[in-house]
Amino acid sequence: MPEILRVNGVSKHFGGLMAVNDVSFTINAGETLGLMGPNGAGKTTLVNLITGKYIADSGDIQFMGHDITKMAPYKRCKLGISRTYQIPRPFPELTALMSVAVSALYGKDRVNQGLEDAATEATHYLEFCGLFSKRNVLGKDLTLYELRGLELARALATTPKVIFVDEVMAGLNPGEAMKAVRLLERAKEEFGVTILWIEHVMAALMKAAQRVVVLHYGKKIAEGPPQDIANDPYVIECYLGSCHA
Amino acid sequence: MELEIKREKIVLRAGTQKFEWHIEPRYWRNPFIYIGILLLATVLVYFFSPQTLPTLVDANLLAAIAIPLGWMTVGTGRMNFGPQFYIGAGGYAAALCSIHLGWPPAVTLLVTLVVGLMFGLLMSPLSIIAGGLYYTLLTLLFPLVFLEITFIYTDIFKGDTGLSGISPFLSGGSYTTNQLMICLLSLFIMLLYMFIVDKIMRSKFSASLAAINDDEEVAEAMGVNVKKIKVISFAIPAMMIAVIGWFYAHYYTTFSGISYLPLTFMLKVLMVSMIGGRVQIYGNVVGGYFIAFLELFLISVVGDMATVLFPVILLVLLLSLPEGLFGLYRKRRYREYLPTLHVRR
Repeated sequence: MPEILRVNGVSKHFGGLMAVNDVSFTINAGETLGLMGPNGAGKTTLVNLITGKYIADSGDIQFMGHDITKMAPYKRCKLGISRTYQIPRPFPELTALMSVAVSALYGKDRVNQGLEDAATEATHYLEFCGLFSKRNVLGKDLTLYELRGLELARALATTPKVIFVDEVMAGLNPGEAMKAVRLLERAKEEFGVTILWIEHVMAALMKAAQRVVVLHYGKKIAEGPPQDIANDPYVIECYLGSCHA
Repeated sequence: MELEIKREKIVLRAGTQKFEWHIEPRYWRNPFIYIGILLLATVLVYFFSPQTLPTLVDANLLAAIAIPLGWMTVGTGRMNFGPQFYIGAGGYAAALCSIHLGWPPAVTLLVTLVVGLMFGLLMSPLSIIAGGLYYTLLTLLFPLVFLEITFIYTDIFKGDTGLSGISPFLSGGSYTTNQLMICLLSLFIMLLYMFIVDKIMRSKFSASLAAINDDEEVAEAMGVNVKKIKVISFAIPAMMIAVIGWFYAHYYTTFSGISYLPLTFMLKVLMVSMIGGRVQIYGNVVGGYFIAFLELFLISVVGDMATVLFPVILLVLLLSLPEGLFGLYRKRRYREYLPTLHVRR
């Protein structure tokens, strides 16, 4: 599988706090890469660095041959990088249909696309995420599970090459969580996207991810197949304490 | 470039871009009814109560300020509390050119457009740098600073007496006929603004405005060039508001900052937005007429106390009608930026 994204010695600090410390890894096209670590490990900050919310203090990020380290977020999106948020961030005053239409309009540049074309395309992504019947409901009126679906539909509508999924199972009951995971798997199959998946639930990553990267206090402490990571004594110590390692 | 005329819309394809304009007659009915009512009201007032024509001019101009202000509010995702700054800039530019260079209104309009756009572009980075309360306070401050400048440089701006001797729109002829013509011109400007902003709010550009208004960080992550859209949404409405300053200067043939730059004028504009409903284009017309006639009524009943009553009314409106009077009419519907699409399965 060809390499699609390369993160090379990236660091970010906020005042005295080193949120991400010299992290390097690669993502290959078509794979699902798990990103895990205890709370405050720097997972979301790392995603924010790759998607452009923050600019790295040092290191560089290469995406399909482009240096995107200091690129504006909207340009990264047009190149094919999209994301969902840990705490869903819908457009509260926009209907589900229009929220997704915004992504279809402004994501990857399309030739001759008007608002109605974008809305028509948005229905396809809403249908995929099981939200077609909610298309005229405002973002602020959707349930948490529906918001997770809306975030995925919005991210897919930008026609990304890589999606960064931030804790898709957080706050969902086991049934909803499994549906969300199946939805991600289907998205990968049908749209051929590469996924970087931040998750605390180890069982989900064990099934879905081909490789896992583990962060602790901003540093990468392990990388490899999920089985190896699950048996790594240092990872267990970081998660559960030294008595379990 | 390719032009395609369909039954219900005109489609223009230029390069990789596509622009659509709905022309289906059923979409024209309501605008024609509204325009007809406004024209009929103006003509009726001319025949039965010509002394009320200036109030109609005020109403049209207040609505014409609030309409682009609505675009600015959505497009920047922030409430600008100093639209009168651009009225001052436009008014003084027109007045100075008319007095010192003897330019007629048609030429000063061009100067006003340039000055308005220039100030809009200069101030637009504020909408990127400052947010929330800081943005509101800064925009509130600029007109007051401008007012102070007019007092400091009295040789240029003539302080609180203002600049006089500006060429009028119409000279000679009957006073009431001239008033009617000016009233129709103000109505034309207001309708033109309504047409422009309505077209923008129904275009694909509006999707980005709505997204920025809701969450600009997410909008940018979804591919919207937030900075560019904010600058456009700040500078062009600023230019449109500056034209109202040009109108005031040539209408009254005098222009003084003290009439437009203080907070009392801003309160009127704010009340138009509040009554019309925030960012409701058609509601702003209702708000403009309501406020103009309310002011007329209050001045005739309580005199100078009207300026005290205005903030009180605004406070009551803020607490009781967050979506404005026009919002009551739309209460059972979502506040839509775009027409809802109904797709059959």
